[in-house]
Amino acid sequence: MAAQDPFDSALDLLRRLNPKYTANNVNALINLVPDLTEDLLSSVDQPLQVQRCKKTGRDYLLCDYNRDGDSYRSPWSNEFDPPLTDGTLPSERVRKIEIAANDAFDIYRELYYEGGVSSVYFWNLDDGFAGVVLLKKSVSSANESTGSWDSIHVFEATDRPRISHYKLTSTVILNMINGDESLGEMDLSGNMTRQIEQDMPVEDDSSHIANIGKLVEEMELKMRNLLQEVYFGKAKDVVGDLRSISSLTQQEKDRSVHQEMISSMSKR
Amino acid sequence: MSVAETIETASGFVLDAPPGELQDVIADIKALVNDDSAVLEGVAPAVEKYNKEQLITTKLPGASEHVIISEYNCLPDGRFFDVGCQSSFEFDHAKQKASNPQSWVLESGNAELIKALLRDVAPHVKEHYPSSPAFGVYPVQDDAGVAVVVVGNKYSPSNYWNGRWRSTYTYTPSSKDLTGTIRVDVHYYEDGNVRLLTTKPVQVSLNSGTSAEIVKTIAIHEKKYQEELNRAFGALSEGAFKNLRRQLPISRQKIDWEKIGNYRLGQEIGGGRSVVR
Repeated sequence: MAAQDPFDSALDLLRRLNPKYTANNVNALINLVPDLTEDLLSSVDQPLQVQRCKKTGRDYLLCDYNRDGDSYRSPWSNEFDPPLTDGTLPSERVRKIEIAANDAFDIYRELYYEGGVSSVYFWNLDDGFAGVVLLKKSVSSANESTGSWDSIHVFEATDRPRISHYKLTSTVILNMINGDESLGEMDLSGNMTRQIEQDMPVEDDSSHIANIGKLVEEMELKMRNLLQEVYFGKAKDVVGDLRSISSLTQQEKDRSVHQEMISSMSKR
Repeated sequence: MSVAETIETASGFVLDAPPGELQDVIADIKALVNDDSAVLEGVAPAVEKYNKEQLITTKLPGASEHVIISEYNCLPDGRFFDVGCQSSFEFDHAKQKASNPQSWVLESGNAELIKALLRDVAPHVKEHYPSSPAFGVYPVQDDAGVAVVVVGNKYSPSNYWNGRWRSTYTYTPSSKDLTGTIRVDVHYYEDGNVRLLTTKPVQVSLNSGTSAEIVKTIAIHEKKYQEELNRAFGALSEGAFKNLRRQLPISRQKIDWEKIGNYRLGQEIGGGRSVVR
């Protein structure tokens, strides 16, 4: 049997271990196998950190895509913090689309999240450009449940005449905690990833904003429904499979009564 | 990284393995450390701790009922015992397999209570644990107490779902106190990784302390807890989840991206809440 690729094993492990500690586990894996550092940091999504833009006073989100060394680029000022003289910036054309995308997703954020922070980062590719749309919101209150939602949408746009090809990979990290004396502690945390590819018509650069907007909006709607089903439907059903509130004898009786009713109705 | 540090890291991974996935986690560790035998031997104590903490179940050779591995039924020589089938047995922690059963007789000042509990817990488990459950009753705390342990597992790796319910209780006859913990662990991992982890402590003072009263109290508390947990799923779904992200904007319409420039923030960014078109 061929030995398993360490990178595949690392990803398999991260899919199994408690998702709440993914950041710690990534660090542990990097210490264990330093060769995996680059691959793990670029392919494993972690909860987003928030930083305030010194120039504009607005919050923005940090990720591997706006990082250069130890500095992060603000989407609002296009400047690195701590300052860099030779930090990698998008081309003038791509930065123009980036500014428009930040304005558009700021409106999207307000309409869907009614709060939180958004940031969009673009970078040049040989045959087009790529970018990431980030959204983050946290809610907490003293006696009720607390939660945080992090959306990470990475896309590539390949330039073609009149048509652009988009590839979107979306991850949502959703962590929720509930607890009081009668419930004890309840922690429901994790992440899910989905991908789509699509060709869409392009007239000019502003078409990209609308196309990416539609793709992200559609994907988030789909993922929100999926998360709802997994977190509050399926997880609850599995608990019911582990332990049954009503007695199994009673359930069996109810089932046979139900069967009799169906069969007597079908005889009519 | 030194061997000792590597063992510590790998042991952490072992102890965090979801229900039914220990073998997968160990296989991943093997690949990551290049089958380094010093590391693989070094994680053995963590594997043993995991099996005891997670109340791993096993079948004795030739038997059909599951028996439990826990800190309560471990003998000084590393073998485990089961009061119900009056046996002790060897357990291979890495392979999670029992072997070499021998007859074993309970010696305890609480022997009568333990036997009565085994008889009375059985119908409770049969009526409320649909998926390959197991239970055990053991003398603990130098025979000053009695432990009741129940576990239900559901493994569905083909659907990327695994789950475990664990209940452990200790009854102390001298004070008539029943204390315990209920834990639920559910893992979903299709194109993602979602984990439900719950912990609920139980503490009650009993009146008579008979086997019947102990089992009835356990049944009442487990039912109440499960109802509370079901309510909490609804509360999170209707509360925190809804407050994080709306399904649609207040207008109940998707965004008109061609006219995104026409949406205006009602107030300046920062304090603004309402958006008007």
